[in-house]
Amino acid sequence: MDTKDKNPELSSPGVMFPDTSITPLEVDELMRPANGVMTEISPAEPGVEPDIEKVGPRKKSPTPLQESLRRLRRDKRAMASVCVIGFFILLAIVGPFIYQHIGGTYQSPINGPIGPSVYHSPFHQELTNQDLSFSSMYWLGTDDLGRDLLARLMQGILISLTVALLVEIVDVGLGVLVGVLAGFYGGWIDQVLARVTDIIFAFPGLLFAIMLTGIFGTEADVVFSNVPLIGANGDARLILVSLALAITVWPLMARFVRGQTLQLKEQQFVEAARTSGSSNRKIILRHIIPNLFSIVIVASTLNISNTIIGEAGLSLLGLGVQTPGSSIGLMIAQGENNITGYPWEVLLPTIVLTIIVLSFSFLGDGLNDAFNPRSKD
Amino acid sequence: MAENLLEVNNLKTYFFTRSGVVKAVDDVSFVMKPGETLGVVGESGCGKSVTALSVMRLVTTPPGKIVGGEIILSGENILEKSKDELTDIRGSKMSMIFQDPMSSLNPVFNVGFQIAETVKRHRKGISNDQAWKRAVEMLDLVRISDAKRRAKNFPHEFSGGMRQRVMIAIALACNPQLLIADEPTTALDVTIQAQVLELMNGLSKEFGTAVMLITHDLGVVAGTCKYVNVMYAGHIVESAPVKQIFESPAHPYTVGLLKSIPRMNESRGEKLTPISGQPPDLGKEIIGCPYAPRCPRVQARCREERPTLQSVGRGDQVAACFYPY
Amino acid sequence: MVQFLIKRFIGLIFVVVGVTFITFILGYFAPGDPIRDLLGTHYNLQTYLALKHAYGLDLPWYTQYLNFLGNLFRFQFGYSFQYQNRPVASILAQGVPVSAELAFWALVIQVGVGVPIGILSALRANTWLDTANMGVMLVFYAMPVFVLAVFVQVFIVWIDQHTGASWPVSQWGNPWQYTPSDISFKLAPILVFAAGGAAFFARITRASMLDVLRQDYVRTARAKGLNERAVIYRHALRNGLIPLLTVVGLSLGTLVTGAFFIENVFNIPGIGYETIISIGNRDYPVIQATVVLLAVGVVIGNLLADIFYSLADPRIKIQ
Repeated sequence: MDTKDKNPELSSPGVMFPDTSITPLEVDELMRPANGVMTEISPAEPGVEPDIEKVGPRKKSPTPLQESLRRLRRDKRAMASVCVIGFFILLAIVGPFIYQHIGGTYQSPINGPIGPSVYHSPFHQELTNQDLSFSSMYWLGTDDLGRDLLARLMQGILISLTVALLVEIVDVGLGVLVGVLAGFYGGWIDQVLARVTDIIFAFPGLLFAIMLTGIFGTEADVVFSNVPLIGANGDARLILVSLALAITVWPLMARFVRGQTLQLKEQQFVEAARTSGSSNRKIILRHIIPNLFSIVIVASTLNISNTIIGEAGLSLLGLGVQTPGSSIGLMIAQGENNITGYPWEVLLPTIVLTIIVLSFSFLGDGLNDAFNPRSKD
Repeated sequence: MAENLLEVNNLKTYFFTRSGVVKAVDDVSFVMKPGETLGVVGESGCGKSVTALSVMRLVTTPPGKIVGGEIILSGENILEKSKDELTDIRGSKMSMIFQDPMSSLNPVFNVGFQIAETVKRHRKGISNDQAWKRAVEMLDLVRISDAKRRAKNFPHEFSGGMRQRVMIAIALACNPQLLIADEPTTALDVTIQAQVLELMNGLSKEFGTAVMLITHDLGVVAGTCKYVNVMYAGHIVESAPVKQIFESPAHPYTVGLLKSIPRMNESRGEKLTPISGQPPDLGKEIIGCPYAPRCPRVQARCREERPTLQSVGRGDQVAACFYPY
Repeated sequence: MVQFLIKRFIGLIFVVVGVTFITFILGYFAPGDPIRDLLGTHYNLQTYLALKHAYGLDLPWYTQYLNFLGNLFRFQFGYSFQYQNRPVASILAQGVPVSAELAFWALVIQVGVGVPIGILSALRANTWLDTANMGVMLVFYAMPVFVLAVFVQVFIVWIDQHTGASWPVSQWGNPWQYTPSDISFKLAPILVFAAGGAAFFARITRASMLDVLRQDYVRTARAKGLNERAVIYRHALRNGLIPLLTVVGLSLGTLVTGAFFIENVFNIPGIGYETIISIGNRDYPVIQATVVLLAVGVVIGNLLADIFYSLADPRIKIQ
């Protein structure tokens, strides 16, 4: 008995369990049995289930995608989350550039006159300015090595988002590819996927990622340090962390996609396509994948939450980005050392992390409600 | 004349949804005598199921609510009963069976238990053994072979038709005066349909149980019912003894229904005549006769005034129409 | 039933082989030369080769793997690289009771608090109680466990500073003992650890109960004239709680990862804590042993959960 197939959402405790089960576009709901009395597709019996949506041929009916987007726009929580996420993306990408041009020249006792591009950099240590509170020079204060917290925070956010992006690309790419093939063709692909999934699932939570980064971390620092943009300043680990997290999550996506493919395969519209002579490849590309679209979007958005948590967690344990680099997790770990004296050093990154994670979760929930509307009992 | 077993007077059941009020049952009145079989016919959305659920007071509240009328069972007004009193009545004075036998039985209890449960609930002081015995008896009665052994089986071990028979067993276990059957055969194969209907008919005659049979299938009604109510858009539009409904339908909707069914004696190649148009949106106010937009005999008066049930001059037959056939 | 068990057992073996193999391979390709590091300045070719031989590191990889596997089954995890004469098992043995206590109480609270909240929410669906409940649960669920830990720590520190109390934010006290002092150490970490899981259980229970309450057989139960208590607690609950068995199995996984974080944030000397230190020391045998133990433990836990599930749901044919 494979409970993981029955409820793929349950297989990962990390994936937010939606309040309703996810099912693909149910074309069957459009067809009602014509028992001699029905003339056209009529609205569902209002007395018994008043909130089944009226779907049917009307003039100028919007596409399901437009309908879903419309529903999404009405979801205030999801829209707020989109704004917040947008803000953070902007902050991470453009923020440092702007911030490093704000502020006058500072006479550092150690480093001489320095401009904002120096003291607002996430790596610069100004040792006479340790553990400062908010000021006009250091907008969010400094940590115990005199580094600007806002700058480090922006860097940390950038890293979180980058890792999330990398992981999702692999997750969706590999997951959909293998999942569709396994679900559609079955056979050995399916068997292999099942075995691989079982083994990866056997490593609880982040254990595999912890092991991978723990063992190969220092080597990765050396090997990847030459990768442009990412390699320097202790960031080389990003690649390893992304790899580790991606390996941990793609089997789940693949299983999920496989389950949906299996369901879709049995739908009548696939049979119809087949009888009209479409090749397998065409069926997959034209019919199956577009219907997976909404489900994959929801799953990957929710997964971004988990990835960000994972990266922060690994950094917290010292396995991710290394100093002098900055990651939210690393900031939390460093802030922990000063928790009695200067609690904002640990609270700041923690709160920011919480907001980002909640935003992606709310967005994922909102997307789920938008794409898979069910009567909200 | 025997006293009425069930009197429904001006029943109104509305649903208060986010997009407005849906008048699922709007001023429905009818009576049933003891032991009688009444068929309630209409298409999806006409309010027949909601009427039945209202009688049992099983309408989901919210969003539904019985906003007016009386439901009098054996002289007692159901709408004035408390929750506790209702649980005493349900299952013992009146019972209901539903459309989908696959999902109407609890999958984790065996069928014997589910029947015995009703018996224990309504017969004070009965022992577990006696209740179980009665359960096996009932299974036998509904013609489940090897009843003693099969009572220990779980619902998933039975076929659809057999599950519906189990439902009947549960419903009749405490000898109710009224059995409401909401589309009991719709989910079953045609051949099984006949068996189940025959069973229901036989048992109702044997125990004197009145049956309210709800269906969209006129064919089902023909063989089993004494009277028929035809419903449309939350109203009863015609009510007559079964023979008259088929031989001389009065309301244009009934006529339309009968015309749209393929008959054995029609010549091949003749097209089916469906009813054009769609049933009205029950969330919007309806002025005049609800069938007017689709009626071939419509006149100006029909759009302004709502017709009530009136005699059409053929015995008990009544129809809500100004220009009946 | 026996066939089912055999089939699952084979699956279990396969997974164990896979897990151990991967763990082994990663250790095998691990960078650095632990023997050389061990010798440090006392490096000398002969000693080096002798030590290598003693640790069995000069054998071909497949032989090493088989040795590794064989030893595992005898619960011999080899000797630590860092602490030469200490068997890994003894290092772990210290951490196990601590981690087990932490996990045990966390699980008890997760189920004991989460499930009733979920049921309550489902019964009062869409009322303010439900919305409030689920709102709070959402926050606890979405927040990573170390985030909550940090908030709680800051809070405790603040209390200490303003009331002169000395509520600790780190260390554990004595394993499986509950003097007031012990409790002061354990209360916060356990509650923090349990919060996320309790929220998870609450959400799942609520969803499951809502689904069940919608089912036709609940309507049938009411139509039979059963009173509301019987409908909910006999018919609905019995069905609604079955999926939770699988969930408990699955939550074992998060329990393990969560333990790592809680132990590190609160400085609790459990398995997770030891493992992180070992990683810092490049003490691979300890890492391997921990990973294998935890992975196999979780797999067995899931298997047990599945067995209970199939016992509880008569629809599942165990053939």
